[in-house]
Amino acid sequence: MKSEICRTPDKEERSLLRQVLDKIANHCRARSLFILHYCTGCGAIELPPVITSRFDSERLGIQPMVTPRQADILLITGYLSIKTLKRVILTYEQMAAPKYVIGMGSCTINGGMYWQSYATIKRLLEYIPVDMYMAGCMPRPEAMQQGFLQLMDNIDNGNANCWKDYYYNYDEYLGHQQALFGPDWHTPTDVIAEARHYQLFGEKTIGDHTALLAKFASKYVTKTIPNHIVGVN
Amino acid sequence: MSTPLPEILDSTLQNIPNLTFTVQDRHRLRIELHRDRLPALLELLKGRAGYLHLSAISCVDWPDTDEFELVYHLWSYEVKTLISAHIHIPKNPGRYISVYDIYTPAAFFERDIHEMFGVYFEGALDMEPFILTEWYGPPPMLKSFSSVDYVKETFKWQEYSPDWLKDIEEKGGQVVE
Repeated sequence: MKSEICRTPDKEERSLLRQVLDKIANHCRARSLFILHYCTGCGAIELPPVITSRFDSERLGIQPMVTPRQADILLITGYLSIKTLKRVILTYEQMAAPKYVIGMGSCTINGGMYWQSYATIKRLLEYIPVDMYMAGCMPRPEAMQQGFLQLMDNIDNGNANCWKDYYYNYDEYLGHQQALFGPDWHTPTDVIAEARHYQLFGEKTIGDHTALLAKFASKYVTKTIPNHIVGVN
Repeated sequence: MSTPLPEILDSTLQNIPNLTFTVQDRHRLRIELHRDRLPALLELLKGRAGYLHLSAISCVDWPDTDEFELVYHLWSYEVKTLISAHIHIPKNPGRYISVYDIYTPAAFFERDIHEMFGVYFEGALDMEPFILTEWYGPPPMLKSFSSVDYVKETFKWQEYSPDWLKDIEEKGGQVVE
């Protein structure tokens, strides 16, 4: 006899069930966020009052965390030199999904007051997907609190999905990275394999730029991309 | 010269020919000399006058002349005086000798100047990239290098057209750069 409880749900029902589970997960997730304790530029000086007793972000469930693998939020607190960007990308790829990137200050939006510097990048979103910007030079702690609340709302409503974009459009992000670091740039993380694992492998995950990755593949890259997928001989 | 030099410094400086100096302050002395004489001056200042601390080497790229100016800043803990020794080297080929054998901290300064200005120091400890490890362009501190042009060629900009700006533009206004 077919049990009522153990029946296999049909596709529509299953997706509905998953939607409910996702909603519950997102609701919980939004109330327990860890910021990676990694600061660049001048914005770092605004963080201590936000985190500690003055503005106390802990009451929102937001705390600093020391390792990228245990953090949810990567806070880019100001200008990024090309050299730092390399480290930021390495850090970002180590973080476990779902992960959220906040660009703080004008520098991450358009270069800010360092717009004419040869050594800093201008638009952070070319290199890693950015969930939210906090404009200002620097934004006050109140603005940061407001931003955190907005991010919590976005996560709760299921709108903070930029991390998926990194997998869907990995080729484009990698292309921008290669333009700065040279064609042999690669990270120890096999992003393409991760994209397959998360079932986020899209049409733009691989392309001309990831083909270069296969060409210069280091020992860290577990699987080279077959030529018939890349389309090169 | 209003303030007389300490005796030990005066006798030391007399050993170097074609040397001009100006006492700028009680604690500051500016020396200009020919580039060939600089290592001898540094040896004497360190060995006899107690100038143990090479606090910096700075480089100036003068746009109108074909020369780099190198400034060696030396500090004495005994007479409490900062000496800046100025020399000029031709931009082409832009080579000079390292003073690493006299002052070991010179290694960092020379490496930095090599990176930022392209001056090669013969006999230096290390001339590999120091800060600009991700840089493949010309030495960026040269006056001939335009940072703005480089940025305009290399980077794209965020589009900026908020609604309130559209309203202003409709009325004939604009954002002044």
